[in-house]
Amino acid sequence: MEELKETYFTPVVPLDFGYNYRLGAYLERYLDGLKERKILGVKCGGCGDVLVPPRMYCGKCRRKLEEWVEVGDRGELVDFTVGHVSMSKGKLSPADPYAIGLVKLDGASCPLLARIKGVEAASLRPGMRLRASWNEAAESDYLVLDHFGPE
Amino acid sequence: MDDKVAIVGVNYAQGDDLGLTRERLCFNAVRGLLDQLGIDRHAIDSFILASNDFLEGRTISNVFEDGPVGAYLKDETKVEMDGINAVVYGALRILEGNYDTALIIAHGLCGHQVSPYLQVQYSLDPTYDRQLGLLNELSGAALQAKAYLRRHGLDEGWLDRAAAWELSCGASNDKVTRKLEGVDEAKVSSSAYLYEPLRELHCYPPTDGVCAIVMASAGRARELTDRPVWIRGFGSSIDSYYFAGRDLAVSPSAGEAARRAYAMAGVDDPASRIDLAEVSGLFAYQAPLLAAAMGLAGEEEAPHRFASGEMGKDAPLSLNPSGGALSAHPVCATGAVRVAEAFRQLRGEAGAVQAGEPKLALAHGQDGLCLQQNTVVILGI
Repeated sequence: MEELKETYFTPVVPLDFGYNYRLGAYLERYLDGLKERKILGVKCGGCGDVLVPPRMYCGKCRRKLEEWVEVGDRGELVDFTVGHVSMSKGKLSPADPYAIGLVKLDGASCPLLARIKGVEAASLRPGMRLRASWNEAAESDYLVLDHFGPE
Repeated sequence: MDDKVAIVGVNYAQGDDLGLTRERLCFNAVRGLLDQLGIDRHAIDSFILASNDFLEGRTISNVFEDGPVGAYLKDETKVEMDGINAVVYGALRILEGNYDTALIIAHGLCGHQVSPYLQVQYSLDPTYDRQLGLLNELSGAALQAKAYLRRHGLDEGWLDRAAAWELSCGASNDKVTRKLEGVDEAKVSSSAYLYEPLRELHCYPPTDGVCAIVMASAGRARELTDRPVWIRGFGSSIDSYYFAGRDLAVSPSAGEAARRAYAMAGVDDPASRIDLAEVSGLFAYQAPLLAAAMGLAGEEEAPHRFASGEMGKDAPLSLNPSGGALSAHPVCATGAVRVAEAFRQLRGEAGAVQAGEPKLALAHGQDGLCLQQNTVVILGI
């Protein structure tokens, strides 16, 4: 019998559907805070860490976190990367270089991953001071805290 | 652990495009292995599949593969993680005493059929990280690479040298995807940036792959082969999901996984006892980071020794003589392939990449973002 070939990547099978997730009370309160230009975290009564975004339990101490605190909208760049691609649904596309970084806000114990704008990529340095920039008109609540820029 | 559970045979394939349906690939891997051992599917007590429903685009995807691997109407189960965890599962089932043999079959087809980045992208918190759209496998790895370089005072040239070294090992391995003859630092540094400091050749290649492994109890193993490779120990550990709160320059979960495996294997000084390590470093900085985390090299010396080739196949401790996951990363099968590479090294069957005559080997697999989850298996002959 003639050997059958396996050559074609067909059919293309799309998976196109959405999920509705509940955010949980802590993330909901965090997003509500952003609308008032407040960055909220929770403080652990055990180790004293302030987690931003807030979580219900401390990973170190296994304690429930119940003390809400407002952290600064300024902070220090811990580290950064300059992206030359963007990823959507696993697919990479070329992109104009853009910076994202870990910003440790004043009063927070762990950094927040955020877009960084208004600073030349070559001038970015760990330790540099940055300040939140807001966009209340953003389509998504998450993007009200739009990016971090020069202090 | 004494001679209780052994690997008696392996059969694996990796490539940019293996050109077959997943069912045919799995069938070929299993049929080839059973023929090699001179047995049929009825000699297998427990079938353990490792694959990822998300990457396959269908749920409970093992039901489509049970036929091709011969698992129908047999004892069958599945691991939705890297295949090295299926090896651990197989060892546990045999140790438990109800099974004498287990067949592990791990596969991932991310060469052309689906993006290899999907698995991690869709493992991210849907209510936060996915909403922001900044974090993915590559941007996370870039931040980890930065942290590692800074911790050790290394520059991007080191990253190029580390990648060139690991890829040059893979260049003599017939079983990898990225077979780059004459690859050097200049070639690596001329590949395009993805997320700085990571360039394309600092990152794993999209890969198709399948790996079949037969394991057996001591008595059965000796019937099936003259040279069983014994499982001496295993361990696994997982770190916090919240990567921004972790110290990215180290991997305590890899250290903990190794510590558990060493304790079981009775290895108190891994740097002198282990002859060969095959670790799943998906990015150029990860193999030395993992080697240090697992006590195979000092933290400060690991990056230099690795990138300069001092941990090559002629060294007392060879690290990734196969070319590692930087040369081929079939998501879900990569850790199982590390076990298979260690198997053929211990039996002296690794051909051009043979690293002396190793007696004790370490295989490692990972899942998640920035080395979040790690599993280690110690094998000996």
